[in-house]
Amino acid sequence: MAGNDRPLSPDLQIYRPQLTSVLSITHRLTGIALSVGSLLLVGWLIAAAAGPSAYATLHGFLASWLGLLLLLGWTFSLFFHLCNGIRHLFWDAGYGFDLRTIYASGWAVVVISIGLTLVAWIISFGMRGPHP
Amino acid sequence: MAQFTLPKNSKVTEGKTWAYPSGAHDVREYKIYRWNPDDGKNPRMDTYYVDCGDCGPMVLDALIWIKNNIDPTLTFRRSCREGVCGSCSMNIDGTNWLACTRFIADTAEPATIYPLNHLPVVKDLVPDLTHLYAQYALIEPWLKTDKAAPERERLQSPDQAEALNGEDGKGPAACILCFCCTSGCPSHWWNGNRFLGPAVLLQAWRWLADSRDDATGERLDNLEDPFRLYRCHTILNCTRTCPKGLNPGKAIASIKKMIAERRS
Repeated sequence: MAGNDRPLSPDLQIYRPQLTSVLSITHRLTGIALSVGSLLLVGWLIAAAAGPSAYATLHGFLASWLGLLLLLGWTFSLFFHLCNGIRHLFWDAGYGFDLRTIYASGWAVVVISIGLTLVAWIISFGMRGPHP
Repeated sequence: MAQFTLPKNSKVTEGKTWAYPSGAHDVREYKIYRWNPDDGKNPRMDTYYVDCGDCGPMVLDALIWIKNNIDPTLTFRRSCREGVCGSCSMNIDGTNWLACTRFIADTAEPATIYPLNHLPVVKDLVPDLTHLYAQYALIEPWLKTDKAAPERERLQSPDQAEALNGEDGKGPAACILCFCCTSGCPSHWWNGNRFLGPAVLLQAWRWLADSRDDATGERLDNLEDPFRLYRCHTILNCTRTCPKGLNPGKAIASIKKMIAERRS
């Protein structure tokens, strides 16, 4: 687009991050995280089918602090992508474009997805069985 | 393709600091993007000190004060100074707005001013809008009708006119083509060659929503394209930044909906 030797004016480097753009890029990143996370789910199923020792190895990784951190990230990704996806559905239907509504629904997505992540973890730690 | 860093000739360097006004009592600092097409150097950020006790209340007043008192080479577009011409659109403190309708009192200290984003720079704060005007021409922004020319004006009911003007005066016809929205749209930064961008799509909607226009089908055919229309991912920086309070995001959704409805 730049003609001759004219410089290109700055864009991403200087544009102030806002709820609109930050939630949009987060939606993409959580979508990528979920795709990678689904590979882990497949790996978990394969390990479970392969036998006790393979399963124990994978479980050992998931129960480590790194594994738990990844699982926490995937849980948040799932709830964020779900909530913001619903927000997108409303937009696709033509609703919620008033600037105040955009901000209200945006903050609601942040609060609800963090809340659901916490609830999911509290419940799953409550239901945790004995170590295999 | 997404491009996260600036080309080599576009990297912004440290500039010079201009004289502090003597005897001033209300001084504010401005960091302003400068690029001179004649010196062969990269763009730079110059620092100016503006005596706000001696100039009007708006950012445009501060720029004019600098041009009159400190540095006559500072280059920017301006005309109406009241938010109707769309000439002085620029990036102020990280978002796009008209310099003439942004109060100096509402800017950061120091205030930072860049030209509109991701456009070739002609000089300082003047971007080259040629490509954006070509995209505007692509939507054929004029009335197309099959009917014979009437004896008098083509009339509209108040409801039909409201589709263009909006009940609050913020309908698509109120757009002044300042391109604050398009140049603040990440999708347009990365796919601007083929994605039309919010300002032009708002105008596309302006003609689709016009009860006097008969070319709806042809206009939708022209827009139904993976890039022209559908590179909009509803980021909504456009609606967030519009200095006239218009809603390009909603207009684009209306076009997408119109296409979906005509398919069913």
